[in-house]
Amino acid sequence: MNFDRSIGIFYRYLYTMRKGLHHLSDLFYWPIVEILLWGLTSFWIQAQNFQVSNLPLILMTGLIFWQICWRGSVDISVCLLQEFWQRNLVNLFSTPLKVSEWIGGVLMLSSCKLLFTIGFISFAIWLLYALNVFTVGWAFIPFAATLLIFGWSIGFLASSAIIYWGHGVEMFAWMIGGLFAPFSAVFYPVSALPMWAQNISWCLPTTYIFEGMRIILHQGIFPKSYFFASLGLDIVFLSASICLFQLMFEKSRKKGLARLE
Amino acid sequence: MILTVNRLKKAYGALEAVNEISFELKSGEILGLLGPNGSGKTTTIQMLLGTLTPTSGSIFYFGKDFVTTRSEALQHVSFASTYTSLPFILTVEENLNFFGRLYGIKNGIERAKSLLERFGIYDKRHERVSSLSAGQVTRLMLVKAFFTEPKVVLLDEPTASLDPDVSRDVCNFLLEQRKERGLSILFTSHKMEEVALCCDRVIVLKQGQIIADDLPKNLAKSTSLHRLSLTIVDGMKRTQSLATAAGIRFEVDNRVILFSLEERKIPPFLHQLMQHDISYVNIRIIEPTLEDYFIKIAEQS
Repeated sequence: MNFDRSIGIFYRYLYTMRKGLHHLSDLFYWPIVEILLWGLTSFWIQAQNFQVSNLPLILMTGLIFWQICWRGSVDISVCLLQEFWQRNLVNLFSTPLKVSEWIGGVLMLSSCKLLFTIGFISFAIWLLYALNVFTVGWAFIPFAATLLIFGWSIGFLASSAIIYWGHGVEMFAWMIGGLFAPFSAVFYPVSALPMWAQNISWCLPTTYIFEGMRIILHQGIFPKSYFFASLGLDIVFLSASICLFQLMFEKSRKKGLARLE
Repeated sequence: MILTVNRLKKAYGALEAVNEISFELKSGEILGLLGPNGSGKTTTIQMLLGTLTPTSGSIFYFGKDFVTTRSEALQHVSFASTYTSLPFILTVEENLNFFGRLYGIKNGIERAKSLLERFGIYDKRHERVSSLSAGQVTRLMLVKAFFTEPKVVLLDEPTASLDPDVSRDVCNFLLEQRKERGLSILFTSHKMEEVALCCDRVIVLKQGQIIADDLPKNLAKSTSLHRLSLTIVDGMKRTQSLATAAGIRFEVDNRVILFSLEERKIPPFLHQLMQHDISYVNIRIIEPTLEDYFIKIAEQS
C-alpha cells in the first residue's frame, strides 16, 4: 500500500469539498437544521414535565453521535459517487491506484471532516442551548471512534451495491444508514423496543454505544463492557464490509468499470 | 518487449467482444488499433488498463504478468480517451496535482508546465475543467497522459473532438515524444489520415478478431482498388457502356466520371477508351488509402 497515493485521493476529495456551498452543506447546513429542530423539540418536551432527567442533553448527545455514524457512512459512498458523476472512474483506476489505497484516502478525509463537524456542532449546541455535549467526558472519544467505524461499515456496504449496480442504486448512499437508526436506540433505550427488534438491536455496535452513553449521563461511569462489545462488533462489520466492497469491485471489474460512467 | 498480449478474450455470455487476440508492442513503436464500431478496440484498451477483467488470456507489461503486477506496471502506463472525463469541478492545476500524486509526483502542475504550454492551456491552469472547451479538455487529457513520463501510452480516440489542425498537431506531438523519449504508444482512431501519418504498424480488429497486422501503406494497397477520374469531353454514354461491360464500378458527376478499378487494369481501360474515340481531359489517378481499406472492412461487417 502506497501512502502517497492515499494522500492523492484525500486531496482529490478535499478539492471537491471546497468547491461551492452545496459541497459544504453537509458540514454546516444540515447539522444546524437538526440542532435547531431537535433542540427546540427536546426543550419543549422537557417543559411538559416528563420524568426524564437530562432529556435535552440525552437527545442532543444522541443527535451528535448519530451524526458521526451517518456522516461516516455517507462520506464513503459519496466519494465513490463523485467518480461516477464526474466520469472519472476509468481514469482513476487506470492509474497505479489500488482499491485499498482509495479506501485509505477516503477514510482519511472522512476522519478530518468528522473532527470538523463535531467541533462545529458542539460549538453550535453550546452557543444555542448552553449545553456541553462533552459532559460524557473523555469517554466521548472512544465512543465517537467506534461510531465512526460503524458508519464506515455502512458506507462500504452501500458502496458495494453502488460499484456493482451503478447509478440505479445511488440512493443507497443515503438510505442504508437510516435502516440501522431505529434499531440503534439512538434516542430511546433498547428496552423500549419490542423483543424481536431488541434481538436485532443487540447485534449492532451502535446499540452498545448509545446505551453506554446514557449510562455515562445517568450514572457517570464508563461502561467498559459496552465499549468493548461495540468495538468487537465494529471490527467484524468493518472487515466484512471492506471485504464485500473489494469483492464487488472485482465483480464489477469483470463487467467493466467503463459501463458505470 | 514492452507489451505482450496472448490469446486475450472477453466474452459477455455468448457475445465474444474480443476473441483470443495476440499481439506485441515494441519499444518506441506507435501501434494503431483500427476497426469498425463494436470491433473490440475499446474493450481491448480497457483490459490493457485493468479496468476490465479478461475472460481468458494474458497480458505482460515489461515481461511481467499484469494480473500480479498491475499497480507496478501501471506506474509506467498512462491513458487518455475522449470517452472519459476528468473531475470537471476541479481546476486544471488541482487535477494534475491529484493525478500526479497517484504516480508519486508531488507537484504535478510544475511537472506538467512545459506540456501545458506546448498545448496552449497553461494560462487556463486556475480554471475549472468544466469551463474549458471540448478541445481544451482533450488536450488536458493528453497532458495528463504524458506528464507522468510513462513508458507506454494507451490512447482511445484521443483526437475525436479536435479540429483537423489540432489533430495534426497532436500527431506531431506523438511522433516527437516517441523520438525524444522512445516511448511506445497504442492508439485507436477513426481518422485514417492520422493513423497513416503516426503509426508504424496497424492492427485491424473485426468482430473481436485480428484480421490484419501490417504497415499502414500495405493495408492501403491490399484494397487494390485505385480511383481513376476523367473529365469526358465527348462519349459519356459509350464510356459508361465500356465500364459496365468491363465490370468496373463508376460514379458520374456532370462531365466527371470516377472509376474504381485495380491498378493493373488502368492502362488497358484507357487504351480501350482511345480505341472508341472517346475524348477526355483532366486525367487523375488516386492511390488507395487506409480510409479505403477501412471503408471496405466496415462495409463487409
